[in-house]
Amino acid sequence: MADSINYKARAWRFFLAGPVALLTTLVIMAGGSLWLPPGDAQVNHFVIPVVLLPAIWAVLFFYSCLDRLWRVSVVLFGLLAVQGAMIARHIMAVQGA
Amino acid sequence: MLNVQQKTKQTLLAIHGWSAVFLGLLLYWVIFTGTVAVFGDELDHWASPLPQAVPDSMPAGTNAMLRQAAADVDPKYLDELFVFGTAGGRMRAFFHTHVESEDGGHGYEEGVLFVFDPTTGDVLQKLEGTQEEIEAQTTFGKLGHFFIEWHVQLHVPQPWGLILTGILGLSLLVACITGFVIHKHLIKDAFLRRRRGRDLLTAKDTHVMASTWNLPFAFILAFTGSFYSLAGAFAIPAIAMVALGGDQELLVETIQGLPAEEDPRPATMADFDAMLQNVRDTGATPRFMSINHWGRQDAVVSIFPWQADGELLPKGYDFNPHTGENLGVKPTIGQAPSIGGDLVALMGPLHFGNFAGWLSKVVWFALGFAGAYASITGLILWVRRREANPRWNHLLRATLWSAWGLPAAMVAASYAYLLQQAGLLSGAVEPLMFQAFGLGLLLFALLAWLVKDLLLVPRVLAASLAIGLLALPVMRMGLGGYGWGAAFSNGLPAVWVLDIAFFISGAFLLKRSAKPVEQIAVDSDEPALGKPQTVEV
Repeated sequence: MADSINYKARAWRFFLAGPVALLTTLVIMAGGSLWLPPGDAQVNHFVIPVVLLPAIWAVLFFYSCLDRLWRVSVVLFGLLAVQGAMIARHIMAVQGA
Repeated sequence: MLNVQQKTKQTLLAIHGWSAVFLGLLLYWVIFTGTVAVFGDELDHWASPLPQAVPDSMPAGTNAMLRQAAADVDPKYLDELFVFGTAGGRMRAFFHTHVESEDGGHGYEEGVLFVFDPTTGDVLQKLEGTQEEIEAQTTFGKLGHFFIEWHVQLHVPQPWGLILTGILGLSLLVACITGFVIHKHLIKDAFLRRRRGRDLLTAKDTHVMASTWNLPFAFILAFTGSFYSLAGAFAIPAIAMVALGGDQELLVETIQGLPAEEDPRPATMADFDAMLQNVRDTGATPRFMSINHWGRQDAVVSIFPWQADGELLPKGYDFNPHTGENLGVKPTIGQAPSIGGDLVALMGPLHFGNFAGWLSKVVWFALGFAGAYASITGLILWVRRREANPRWNHLLRATLWSAWGLPAAMVAASYAYLLQQAGLLSGAVEPLMFQAFGLGLLLFALLAWLVKDLLLVPRVLAASLAIGLLALPVMRMGLGGYGWGAAFSNGLPAVWVLDIAFFISGAFLLKRSAKPVEQIAVDSDEPALGKPQTVEV
C-alpha cells in the first residue's frame, strides 16, 4: 500500500517536473509579453521573456523537484491558470477587434 | 560550501546522475561537436585554402565583383543579395528572391550563387537554382558546416533537432546547478586530485575537478545554447502569436524595422568599396553584407562586421544605397537600442567565443573540451559505482564508443571531404561525409563491443583514433594540398597549425594507448589492475 502511494507520488512529481513545468514555462514566457513594458524599441516585452526562458524553466523544474507535492501542484497549476487566462483574454480581444 | 539538507542533496544527486544517464551521451555529442565547431572556419580554411592568405573576404575590388555578377543574373534575383566569406577566405555572393510555396508553406529562396577569389576577382563557382539545389552542389565551407549542424540540431530536421538540442542544453543547465549545490568544498574540489591509481576516488576527483573549473563556462553555454535552440524552434513563434496576434508581417517589421516604401524606379548603387572601407575605419573587419532591391530607389544596404578590438557585442551599420553615407549603427532587434536587443546580441559572443580572434577561440575550445571530458568522466563514474551489476557494462561500452567514436567519425568525414575535393570520390560532398561518419561510428562500435577485455577497449579505440589523426595531414598533402613550408610562406596558418595539432594529438594518443598496463599502475602507485573497474577514458 505504502509502495503504491510512493509510486503514485513519484509519478505525479515526474509529471509536474516534466511536461507541466515545461508547459508553464511556455505560458509564463508568452504571457510575459502582455505585462512586461515594451520599451522605446517596442521589443523588450517579447524579447526578454525568450532570453529568460532557460532561467524560468530551471526555477520551475527545481521547485517541482524539491518542494512538497501538493504545494508544487497548486503553484504550477495556479501559474498556468492565471497566465493562460491572460493569454486567452488577450487573444479573444484581438480576434474580437 | 552550500548548506543544504541531506535529503535535498540526495534528490539533487539523483537528478544529476539520472539526467546524465538518459541524456549524457547525446549531451557529449553536442558539446564535443560544438567544441570543434569553434574552429569551424579554420577547418574550412585548412581543407580548402586559396594559394594566398586572404585577410579580408570583402577587400577593395568587391564593388567591381558584385557589379559584374549583378549584370549577369536574371533581374528578379536582384531582390536580395547576401555577401560573406567562406572557406579559404573566398567570397560568397548569393543573388536571390523568395518564392512563395504553392502549398502555403514557408516557401524557399531561388537565385544564383557566385564564389569569388577576392584577391584576383575570379569567379570560382557559379551555381543557379533553389538554395537547396545550390547547397547540394557547392563544397566550400561544407566541412565546418557539417560539424556545426551536428552541434546545432544533430542533423535532425527542424524543429525537432532544435527542440532536442534545447532539451540537452537545459539538461546541461540542470547538471551545472545540481553539481554546484552538491559540491562539498568548491575551492578544494578545484584542486583535489588524489593519485590513487584508478580507484573510484580518483575517478570522482577527475570528474569533479574538470567540472568545477568548467562550471561557470558550462552554465553560460547551457543558458545561451538552450536559448538559441528553443527560441528558434518554438519560443519566438509562440510569443509572436500572443504579443503580436500571430501577425508575421508585424513581427518582421518590429524586429527588422519598417521596410522602405516600394519604389521600383531604377537608381544607381553607390560604391560598395567605400562603404566597406567606412566600416573598416571603425577598426572592424566586414563579415556580412546584405543588399535588398539592388538598382532600385528603395534599395537597402547593411554591413555587419566582426567585433573590433575591445568590443564584445557585434554591430551592424545601415548605409544610404545611393550616396554611400553611413546612416549609423543598426540595432540588433527593433528600430531603437533596447535592453532586449543588447541581451540577444550578448548571447552570440558568449556562446561562440568569437569576440577576440584566435585567443578567445582557443579559450572556448579548451573549456568546451573540459566540458566534454566532464560529461564522459561523469558517466564512467556513474557506471563504476554500479560495477557489481554487469548490465551497466553496456553503458560503459557505449560511453567509450561515444568518447572515441565521435572524434573518429569526424576525422572520417574529413577524409571524405578531402577525397571528394581531390576528385577521388564522386557525388555531393555532404552525403559522402555522412557515409564516412557512419562508417567511422560503426567501426568503433564493433571495436567497443567486440573487444572483450574492458580494460583494452579505450586503448584500442584511442589507438585507432590516433592513427586516423596522424594520417589526416599526410592524406591532405598526398592529395595535392600545400606542404607546411608553402603554407607557412603563403601565410596560411590554419593549414600548418591544424596539421601540427592533428599530429600532436595523434602522437599523444598513440603513446598513451601503447603504454603497458603495468607501467601505468607503477606510475600511479597502484598494483596492475585487470578487472572492469580499472577502465579509464
